[in-house]
Amino acid sequence: MPVMTTDIMINAQQIYKSFGNLSVLKGVNLTVEKSEVVVIIGSSGSGKSTLLRCINHLEKIDSGSIAIENELMVKNNEANQAIYQPEQEIKRICSKMGMVFQHFNLFPHMTVLQNIIEAPMTVKKMKREEILPLARELLQKVGLSNKEDSYPSQLSGGQKQRVAIARALAMQPDIMLFDEPTSALDPELTGEVLKTMQNLAEDKITMVVVTHEMGFARAVADKVVFMDGGVVIEQGKPEEVLVNPKHPRTCAFLSRFID
Amino acid sequence: MDYLVNFIEQFWITLKVSTFYCIDISPQLWEGTKLTLGLFIVTLLLSIPCGLILALLRLSRLKFISFLVNAYIWLMRGTPLMLQIFFIYFALPMLGIRFQSFSTAVIAFTLNYAAYFAEIFRAGIQGVNKGQYEAAKTLGMSYGQTMWRIVLPQMIKKILPPLCNETITLIKDTSLVYVLALQDLMRIAYQLVKRDFDLSPFFIAAVFYLAMTLILTMLYQRLEKYYARYDD
Ligand SMILES: Nc1ncnc2c1ncn2[C@@H]1O[C@H](COP(=O)(O)OP(=O)(O)OP(=O)(O)O)[C@@H](O)[C@H]1O
Ligand SMILES: [Mg+2]
Repeated sequence: MPVMTTDIMINAQQIYKSFGNLSVLKGVNLTVEKSEVVVIIGSSGSGKSTLLRCINHLEKIDSGSIAIENELMVKNNEANQAIYQPEQEIKRICSKMGMVFQHFNLFPHMTVLQNIIEAPMTVKKMKREEILPLARELLQKVGLSNKEDSYPSQLSGGQKQRVAIARALAMQPDIMLFDEPTSALDPELTGEVLKTMQNLAEDKITMVVVTHEMGFARAVADKVVFMDGGVVIEQGKPEEVLVNPKHPRTCAFLSRFID
Repeated sequence: MDYLVNFIEQFWITLKVSTFYCIDISPQLWEGTKLTLGLFIVTLLLSIPCGLILALLRLSRLKFISFLVNAYIWLMRGTPLMLQIFFIYFALPMLGIRFQSFSTAVIAFTLNYAAYFAEIFRAGIQGVNKGQYEAAKTLGMSYGQTMWRIVLPQMIKKILPPLCNETITLIKDTSLVYVLALQDLMRIAYQLVKRDFDLSPFFIAAVFYLAMTLILTMLYQRLEKYYARYDD
C-alpha cells in the first residue's frame, strides 16, 4: 500500500540559512499536516522568523529542502546546495500560503476594503464584483464590517492586524503563516486578534504561528515547536512541550513565562 | 499747492501712457508666454516618465546598470544646463544630427530634468517601507504590480514638495532658451526693453512668471490635499 503523504502541507527538511557569517538556521526540520495548528516558540534571535520567511520564500535557504503540499520548491544538489525551482513555479507554490506580519504591513494608501480586494484583483484578475462578497464575508469574520472605508491609519493595532488577516485570507490560501501577530499590540488588544486566529483554527485552516502567547499555544496548538540557537530542540503536543518539557533549555525558556 | 497739482497731473498722464503701452505690448509677451509654457509642458511630460525609468534602473540590482545611471545623473547635474544646450545645439550637428531650436531645447531640458526627477523619485521609492514589498510578495504580486499598485502611489505622496520645487525651477529655467534665439517670454521682454527704453516689459514678464508659478503651486496644493486622505 502506498504511503499516504497527501496530508503533509509543509515539509521542510534540514534547513540551513546564514546571513553572512551568522548562521541562523542549522538543520531545522518542520512538518505541518493538514488542518494542524503549529506554534513555534523560542527566545529572541533563535531563528523563528527566519524559518517562516524561508518557508514563504522571503529569504532563500543555503541548504535543505522545502515542499508545500508535496510540491518541491527547493531541494539540495549533490553538493548539498539548495537549488530552487524556476521563479514561476515558486510563485505558484507560494500562492498556497498567506502571511501575517508583526507590523501588519497594510497598504496605507488603500482603504480596508481596497487592501482586501487588491491582490485578488491584480493577481487573480478577478472583477471587483466577483471578489466583493468574499471580501465582505471576511470583514465580517474578523469583526470589521463597519470599517471597510477606513484607512489603516484610522484603525487601532488590533483592527489593523485583523484586516491583515482578512487580506491574506482573500487569496484563499491553504496555509496561514503568522509571525508574532500580537507582539506589536498593546496588551489589551491582543485578545481580539488571538480570538480571530482561534476562529480560523476552528475552520480547520492549516496554521503556523510564531508567538510568545503561551495561553494561545496551550489552547489552540496541535503541536508546539521549541527552537533555540537555530535548531528545533523539542516538539510535540502542547501538554508535553509546555507542561512537561523534556529538555533543560525548554524548561529554562518556559520558566520565564510562569506568572 | 501748484506743485502738487502739477505732480498729480504728470503722474496721471504717465500712468495713462504706460497703461496703454502695457496693453500694447501684452500680446507680444503673451506669444512668448505660450512658447515658455509649451516648452515647460513638453519637457515635463517627457522628463517625468524618463526620470521614473532612470530611478527604477538606478535601484536595479544589476550593479552595472545602476552605475551607468549614476554616472548619467552625475553628468547632468554636474554641468550647467546652458552648456548642455550649447552642446546639443553646436556639437551634435557636427556629427550630422541636426535639430530645430525648439527640439534642441526640449531635448536638453528633458535630459537634464530627467536626472533631477530621477533623484527625487529614487528617494521617494526608498522611503516606502520594506514591509510593503514583502506583503505584496506574499500576496503573489509581481515586481511590476508591486511597483505600480503599491510603491509608486505611496511614493507620490512623499515627493510632492520636492517635485513642486523642481517644476517651479523648470518654469524659470526655460528662460535659458534665449541662447537658441527662441522667442520665449524672457527674450521678448528683453527685446522690448532694449527697443523702448522702458522697464515695464520686465514687470509684465515677472507678473506672467508669477502667475504660472501660482497656478502650479495651487495645483500641487490640491494634490497634497488629495494625498492627505491617508497617513503612513
Ligand atoms: N536580513 C538579515 N540580515 C542579517 N541578519 C539577520 C537578518 N534577519 C535576521 N537576522 C539575524 O538572524 C537571527 C535570527 O533572527 P530571527 O528574526 O529569525 O529571530 P527570531 O527568533 O524571530 O527572534 P524574535 O523573537 O526577536 O523575532 C538574529 O540574530 C538576527 O539578527
Ligand atoms: Mg521574529
